Amino acid sequence: MESLFFFIFSGLAILSAGFVVLSKNAIHSVVALIFCFFNASALFLMLGAEFLAIILILIYVGAVMVLFMFVLMMMEVNFEKLREGFMQYLPLGLMISLILLMEFAAAAASNIFVAVTHKTDPKTGEFILDEVTKNIIPKAEPLTAQVNNAAEIGKVLYTQYMFAFEVAALILLVALIGAVVLTLRTRKDVKYQSIPKQVRASKADRLRKASL
Amino acid sequence: MQYTLENLVIYPLIPEMFIALMAMFILLLDVFLTDAKKKLVPALSILTLLTAMIISFCAVGDAPVSAFFNYVIQDSFAAFSKGLICAAGIFTIVMSQRYMKGESHLGEYYVLILFSILGMMLMVSANNFLSMYLGMELMALSVYVLVGYQRDMLRSSEAALKYFVLGSLASCMLLYGVTFLYGVSGSLHFSDVAKALSHHEAQTSMAVLTGLVFIMAGFAFKVSMAPFHMWTPDTYEGAPTPITAFMSVAPKVAGFVLFIRVLHDALAPMLNEYVTILSVLAVLSMIIGNLAAIAQRSIKRMLAYSTVGHVGFILLGVISATEEGYTAVLFYMLIYLFMTMGVFSVLLLMRRDGLKGELLDDFAGLIHVHKGYAIAMVLLMFSMAGIPFLGGFWAKFYVFMSAFNAGYTQLALIGLLFSAIGAFYYIRVIKYVLFDSEREAFNPLSDKPLQAVLVLCTLFVLVSGFFPDPLIKVCQAALVGFI
Repeated sequence: MESLFFFIFSGLAILSAGFVVLSKNAIHSVVALIFCFFNASALFLMLGAEFLAIILILIYVGAVMVLFMFVLMMMEVNFEKLREGFMQYLPLGLMISLILLMEFAAAAASNIFVAVTHKTDPKTGEFILDEVTKNIIPKAEPLTAQVNNAAEIGKVLYTQYMFAFEVAALILLVALIGAVVLTLRTRKDVKYQSIPKQVRASKADRLRKASL
Repeated sequence: MQYTLENLVIYPLIPEMFIALMAMFILLLDVFLTDAKKKLVPALSILTLLTAMIISFCAVGDAPVSAFFNYVIQDSFAAFSKGLICAAGIFTIVMSQRYMKGESHLGEYYVLILFSILGMMLMVSANNFLSMYLGMELMALSVYVLVGYQRDMLRSSEAALKYFVLGSLASCMLLYGVTFLYGVSGSLHFSDVAKALSHHEAQTSMAVLTGLVFIMAGFAFKVSMAPFHMWTPDTYEGAPTPITAFMSVAPKVAGFVLFIRVLHDALAPMLNEYVTILSVLAVLSMIIGNLAAIAQRSIKRMLAYSTVGHVGFILLGVISATEEGYTAVLFYMLIYLFMTMGVFSVLLLMRRDGLKGELLDDFAGLIHVHKGYAIAMVLLMFSMAGIPFLGGFWAKFYVFMSAFNAGYTQLALIGLLFSAIGAFYYIRVIKYVLFDSEREAFNPLSDKPLQAVLVLCTLFVLVSGFFPDPLIKVCQAALVGFI
């Protein structure tokens, strides 16, 4: 029963991901991507990672994809023009993707990905690596009901990954500054109302005594 | 290691934290400053960088100290490169004074420079793939914005967009490569990855090789090795000139230091594999950089290709993977910093009414107009070409020697050949400067800070040419604790 659901969700995720790339209409692509995210979040739910599942929907579907929609609808992107030269680049692109596909298949078949969960010392949480064990494919198991997802994530996020967390915050700050700097412009040809200027205005600035 | 407060060492990162706090403080301060007092912002930024540089030199002991649960490491190798990066930042801020005059939102310009330097400092201190990636992104995001700072110029926006798209692609590749190594080792720490890779099965497996190739490609993008250099000429040409100078030095230093750290700490068991890849990249960089530069008319594009060529030479030191090789790399970057900053300050001084001083023709007959600039330019160009006895000569000499001593004789010979070919386009600039007649009415600027940078850089190149030994000693000392 569980594997049936797994195949349904992952199959739909792959199909919708394919649709994202192949669809001619950009809006359809975004909708397919949203559908893909829903399927991925269902997979998370099946693993008992309800916090990640909800976060995925809230952030990606609720915020990022809506923004995508906005951008696509606000800007008139000429997709016909983007598609120019498609046939010209097709052979090269196909060749590269085929090579990559073969590489990935070979990499996946090399069977040396070890299960991370089996490799940490339960007491100290320290990483131990005795020998590269072959043929252990990480087994994803549903978490038990006792495990509180959000609390567990919080525990590692603010301890082990503290440095990464802080630097990520700085990166967001830079992104914010960058976005403002690159888009904020005061246009000379438009009349603005400047409230500070209005407040600061005094009699001396405006009133002039003229002797007649 | 348990994740407790006692184990959380933060003091090695004081310079970085200082820069981060000061950058945010300056960001706020800028809002409250009146236009007349805006000069305070660059001054404060320079002061911040100087202080951070001094702190990072003081904070370093003999043994490497790791901080934040082993996510970052502070050793003399990192401190030396932080010094180089901060110096590049200070030069850039000084050079920006006149160039950026009249642009809006100048406060943020300096804040972004500070943030990009912060990113680079985190890069050179990274001891974990996660901190490496975050440092890189912090640097890259700030530099993307800096490249596109002159929004009204189409070229600037085009350069920024190109850099952004290709840079993001490079980040993706790097990250993808890291995932393979993570899959194999189950850890993101460099030392754990090295431990996992020391097993024979891991070394020969396709997964590790794929990861290695992707990581190499990502780094190659970041430090503009051929054939991943496509963005370099366009971005260099379109970016504001001080930022071009900044980009051709600081991210390269950070990139190479990080690259060496990854290769030495994490990928050392894969030495044979990565040397093969890097040899191809080095030869391509030397060929493409030095040959394509000949065809350029714009001096910024020429310098972009020359960077690619220099990156090829620096790679020889990385390939030798010996103490001698890494010393040569550090020495090369030290000299390269001063050479490049010097050349760009001449470029900025040539900028005059309407003319950008960016074409080779603009330099024609410089000697008849301003002897000082001409002499400096000649010295810097000779140094770039590697003419004895100037700093650039010793830089190349040590790199070639290290490759030769490590047994890569062919690579050293190819390097020699292309260094000779590359000398052509540097000497062509000298020909323009010295022997051509004046084509445009010159009106060279006299800008005291810029001239000071130029004099400093030229003197450094000159003095280091005659007395390279103390500098080599410094570079050797920087590697103590790393190797």
